Amino acid sequence: MAGLELLSDQGYRVDGRRAGELRKIQARMGVFAQADGSAYIEQGNTKALAVVYGPHEIRGSRARALPDRALVNCQYSSATFSTGERKRRPHGDRKSCEMGLHLRQTFEAAILTQLHPRSQIDIYVQVLQADGGTYAACVNAATLAVLDAGIPMRDFVCACSAGFVDNTALADLSHVEEAAGGPQLALALLPASGQIALLEMDARLHEDHLEQVLEAAARAARDVHTVLDRVVRQHVREASILLGD
Amino acid sequence: MAEAVGAVAESLPGDRARAARTVLDQVVLPGEELLLPEQEDAEGPGGAGERPLRLNAGTRSRGRVVCGPGLRRCGDRLLVTKCGRLRHKEPGGGSGGGVYWVDSQQKRYVPVKGDHVIGIVTAKSGDIFKVDVGGSEPASLSYLAFEGATKRNRPNVQVGDLIYGQFVVANKDMEPEMVCIDSCGRASGMGVIGQDGLLFKVTLGLIRKLLAPDCEILQEVGKLYPLEIVFGMNGRIWVKAKTIQQTLILANILEACEHMTADQRKQIFSRLAES
Repeated sequence: MAGLELLSDQGYRVDGRRAGELRKIQARMGVFAQADGSAYIEQGNTKALAVVYGPHEIRGSRARALPDRALVNCQYSSATFSTGERKRRPHGDRKSCEMGLHLRQTFEAAILTQLHPRSQIDIYVQVLQADGGTYAACVNAATLAVLDAGIPMRDFVCACSAGFVDNTALADLSHVEEAAGGPQLALALLPASGQIALLEMDARLHEDHLEQVLEAAARAARDVHTVLDRVVRQHVREASILLGD
Repeated sequence: MAEAVGAVAESLPGDRARAARTVLDQVVLPGEELLLPEQEDAEGPGGAGERPLRLNAGTRSRGRVVCGPGLRRCGDRLLVTKCGRLRHKEPGGGSGGGVYWVDSQQKRYVPVKGDHVIGIVTAKSGDIFKVDVGGSEPASLSYLAFEGATKRNRPNVQVGDLIYGQFVVANKDMEPEMVCIDSCGRASGMGVIGQDGLLFKVTLGLIRKLLAPDCEILQEVGKLYPLEIVFGMNGRIWVKAKTIQQTLILANILEACEHMTADQRKQIFSRLAES
């Protein structure tokens, strides 16, 4: 069957990238004045916006308050215009809930929740345009937003997706590569210590290849960290210049 | 392939700890580890365990280094937990090793003991008032914590009033408590804030800058109109001038100060002084 060639003989992918190359990342922090922290990230054509409120009082039932830690509440939402076809997604549907749980697991590993017992930290992420790697873009945007809010964190959280085609591991999959049906893996990493916050894959991949794909995802996540590091330093420098330091 | 291996090798965790002294006033990010000056000497050239013999033992004071906001102790190193610029203050009396902290920008306030804040009374329950200070819990304020208040002579505080007070109890495990008297029992400016005026919110960094001893913004504002102003360390400012228009102008100037350079500010002040 004349399918789309995901990896050409010379080693180029559909959009002209090499196997381990990331898409172009642009990010900005502090995009909303009214939220405690906010950030916007573009990874290739995938655009995500994250907003953080907290730590504040527990909303809703007091019984959910944890006596020794803060509650991290993550909500994921995908805009109706984010995919090729306009699709109305009700608020509590399965994919949003699952993504929310993944994000919560990821950020509970990185945020120092013991410093704010009995309070709540809200992280809201919205995907404005989905072109593959939505989980990774959400995690990266949320990391920048949490840093913007000044909530203490153990380390950055950087995420990237990876796939496996023709015995080569591909990093940062786009929508075309995800839709082709091969195995795909999403990895969220704390770069300084090399610890994995979340690793997710729901496809079939031979055990022998796992090491290679994991290594490609980890390297890509560290490259994302380099970019985000630069964005944060630039933002802090600009903010402190205006404050007259 | 060589550069791929090289790129992986330099991003491996390991000796990423840097001496705190070398990164002073530079941007630090969460995940970085800093070495304190004492460990630096032990790990410097001369290697394992060799220490130069010092003849005057008093100069090398192994004082305690205080770890301020944005830093946590992790083993024998400091772990950075917020992004911002690293600052250091030498100890005043010669004891201890000084304070290190990270100057970060934040909008959400976390109660700290001894801070003076502006709160809004949200509820009266029995003997205490619940005051919203912008943190994760409302603070409690006893009705006896005002100057000259006794059981018979209750202070005149209604729901919705603004209170300027300081925290006596503020840690992560307990509900914050505030009072409107100082340790001698005098009000010294604290208590219910009067009628009229405008309360607005700014970032915490701007408040610290405005409360610095030699802040020129405040002097310029004072020359512009006669005004009353109260700064709360929780990011709230209350301002009152003779007319509503002047009050609004002052509120807008203070909010905009965060995003303006010194020259732009001087231009605006000179334009307002003319009109």
